[in-house]
Amino acid sequence: MPRVPTIVLLTLLLAQVACAGGAPRFVPVSGGRFVSSLLDGTRTVTVRVAPFAMMEEPVTEAQFAAFVRHHPRWQRGRITPLFAGPQYLAGWRTPTDPGDAGAARRPVTGVSWFAARAYCDSLHAELPNWYQWEYAAAADATHHDARADTARRNAILAALMHATGQRPGLIGRRPANLYGLRDLNRLIWEWVGDVGALFPEADGDLGSAGSGSVLRLCGGAALAFRDPSDYALAERVAALSMLAPTDASPFVGFRCVRNPGANP
Amino acid sequence: MKRIASLLCAILLGTGLAAAGQAAESTALPPTSIYRIPPLTLIDQDGRDFTFASLAGTPRLVGMFYASCRMVCPVEIETLKRIERAVVKAGGRPVPVLLVSFDPAHDDVAALKQAARQHHVAAPEFLLTRARSGDIGMLGGVLGVSWRPLPGGGFQHNVVVALLDREGRILATDPADGRVDPAFVRAIVQQERDTH
Amino acid sequence: MKRILATAIALALGAAGFAGSTHASPLPAGWTCTPALCGAPQGKPIVEHLLPPPEVPPPITRRYPATVIVNLEAKEVVGKLADGVKYDFYTFDGTVPGPMIRVRVGDTVEIRLKNAHSDHMPHNIDLHAVMGVGGGAANSIVIPGHEAAFAFKALHAGLYVYHCAMAPAAVHIANGMYGAILVEPADGLPKVDKEFYVMQGEFYTKGAYMQPGLQPLDMTKLLDEQPTYVVFNGRVGSLTGEHALRAKEGQTVRFFFSNGGPNLTSSFHMIGGIWNTVWPWGGSNEDHNVQTISVPPGGSTIADMKLVVPGTFMLVDHAAVRMFNKGALGQLVVSGPEQPDLYRRLWNKPFPPSGTSPAPAAASSTH
Repeated sequence: MPRVPTIVLLTLLLAQVACAGGAPRFVPVSGGRFVSSLLDGTRTVTVRVAPFAMMEEPVTEAQFAAFVRHHPRWQRGRITPLFAGPQYLAGWRTPTDPGDAGAARRPVTGVSWFAARAYCDSLHAELPNWYQWEYAAAADATHHDARADTARRNAILAALMHATGQRPGLIGRRPANLYGLRDLNRLIWEWVGDVGALFPEADGDLGSAGSGSVLRLCGGAALAFRDPSDYALAERVAALSMLAPTDASPFVGFRCVRNPGANP
Repeated sequence: MKRIASLLCAILLGTGLAAAGQAAESTALPPTSIYRIPPLTLIDQDGRDFTFASLAGTPRLVGMFYASCRMVCPVEIETLKRIERAVVKAGGRPVPVLLVSFDPAHDDVAALKQAARQHHVAAPEFLLTRARSGDIGMLGGVLGVSWRPLPGGGFQHNVVVALLDREGRILATDPADGRVDPAFVRAIVQQERDTH
Repeated sequence: MKRILATAIALALGAAGFAGSTHASPLPAGWTCTPALCGAPQGKPIVEHLLPPPEVPPPITRRYPATVIVNLEAKEVVGKLADGVKYDFYTFDGTVPGPMIRVRVGDTVEIRLKNAHSDHMPHNIDLHAVMGVGGGAANSIVIPGHEAAFAFKALHAGLYVYHCAMAPAAVHIANGMYGAILVEPADGLPKVDKEFYVMQGEFYTKGAYMQPGLQPLDMTKLLDEQPTYVVFNGRVGSLTGEHALRAKEGQTVRFFFSNGGPNLTSSFHMIGGIWNTVWPWGGSNEDHNVQTISVPPGGSTIADMKLVVPGTFMLVDHAAVRMFNKGALGQLVVSGPEQPDLYRRLWNKPFPPSGTSPAPAAASSTH
């Protein structure tokens, strides 16, 4: 069988090409002091965000397909009801194939918090916590904190509204931010590790995951945000905090973070 | 072709994927058994370590806590003790308790031991543990326990204690907030009777 | 679950007594629950037949309390805001406003809210007809692809606004997520010939008034409460031209008019008409011979008019810039013979400017 080694070599070469385009890339995010847009009860929260590394793009359908092929327990149909409901990857052609020509450039959505967590874990990474995500997403191409830019806010809100009724667009249509991160604000909502703890109850305790008690009433929400006029952020937080960790929404994806010193 | 390439890609991606892929599937357990979370190794207040899944086989109360907690967690532990006393009073037998810390950075065996002494609880009936390996977030997720470190230290968190049947299905939950809920006590007595 | 809810409601009513029973001055009969009026629901549950605006469900002829099931769906849709202008609306049932709900005082109303699979945002519903925290909002939050239900007893008759209360509520309302629910008094409202359902609301778009294309929400305009559009029933022209409302001379028409806002108070007026009977706040208080009714955001009015002459009558927010420049205009076309005794044209001709000498023919007669 003299041809076998050639085939092996060839496939290895192809695999390497695929990996170069398909493996998630992490970029360093310098830490710093940061005032969160979310209040702790009625108090403003200043956090010291330690340096971390974050995936430059949301996890793609192709990347997640590779993950479930290798980890069948996270495939649609095999996943236990503890970790995902019937909407999990419901749009995929098969349990392992998104059936999407744009899979390599489309953010994966329809994944539960558990599955997102397991994916990150498989890369020795984890879901960002809210402060990490918020810190990274506050930057534009030139500023660490562009949150006060009303033109930007307006554009983000307009982009979110414009997506009404459509599936998420492709990654990389817009320039990266200062850290080299793409598509944090306008493409999809992204899971965070502490999503269940986004909003404390009035008495300081947390409701059960997915309760988002403060956001349930329209007046109450104004009490949750440092700047209630940042509607785009309020929409995002409302969308995320209403999800139970088993929920899978066609507009919620994720990316992972890890220690800045970790090897790729 | 693309699919083959990405499959190979996944395989070549390395040890992380492979390690997780080799995780044993506990097929004997029902689909909704919380013992099916990805492998979690725990160590208790006496320094004994064991896997979370090895606790299957007997009904159990499971919750989360952290040892340096001043308010909510002591109430949680004391409530659990009162619930157990109420179970005995109702003619049942106490079920073992497992609490897992979500502050593994501080809760070493010494801290767990100290907390156990403070509350007069002892293994194996009342296990205070921390994770040695695995993702406690998965356990929090299935129990409905959320936490978030506070900038000034400590955690913002909620309390859920779940009554598991012998196979790890959640039968009832309780906020363990100082009140003894008769319905929760009844559920424990009932389950304990069904099992024996 | 349903049984528990019903029991809870019954217990609450039994313990607390009915809202109106201890009032010092007499309340209009039939507008507020009494034990005699609002006992346990009878008969089979009724599934409400919902119609798109400006249609109104028929008056209720039933004279006993029932359980009424209302199925609503939150839908995010791209729709027409004006000719050539599109907008990403948030809606109940795909229309702005959402369908009008009609129940009777004392009914137990079961609201079942779905959120379309294709939606992005969680939504909920706060009905001002509900006596309960959040008006049902806390018990109706649904993420896309989920449904939720809650029940309430309609203790007070009146015309009430409902709206989505999800954070940020100003955005959900500004995108069109509101409607109205009529709780009829026990014996109904006085009979009229035609009923219409109209809601006012503002839209805040990036482009100027009538600038074509898909127009995104302009957050700055919304925050400054400076709308680009002020419209009836969700778009410019919803009640004009081929969509004009129609009635006949001699008929009495009734408007169920509510204001979704989110920010502006309406000065509801019919050009060329006086409202014969008005329930100004949508509640039991009645007034007569009213020209313009102030309707706040999240408020309603019921207004009756007997049509005595023919013609095209304009329905407006009398804050004039809104009707001329922002779209707050509807039409009621009344057909029938002219009534010269009531209204007729006399003349229209030039007259001399003041200070000029009188015309020779007229001046000569007195001297």
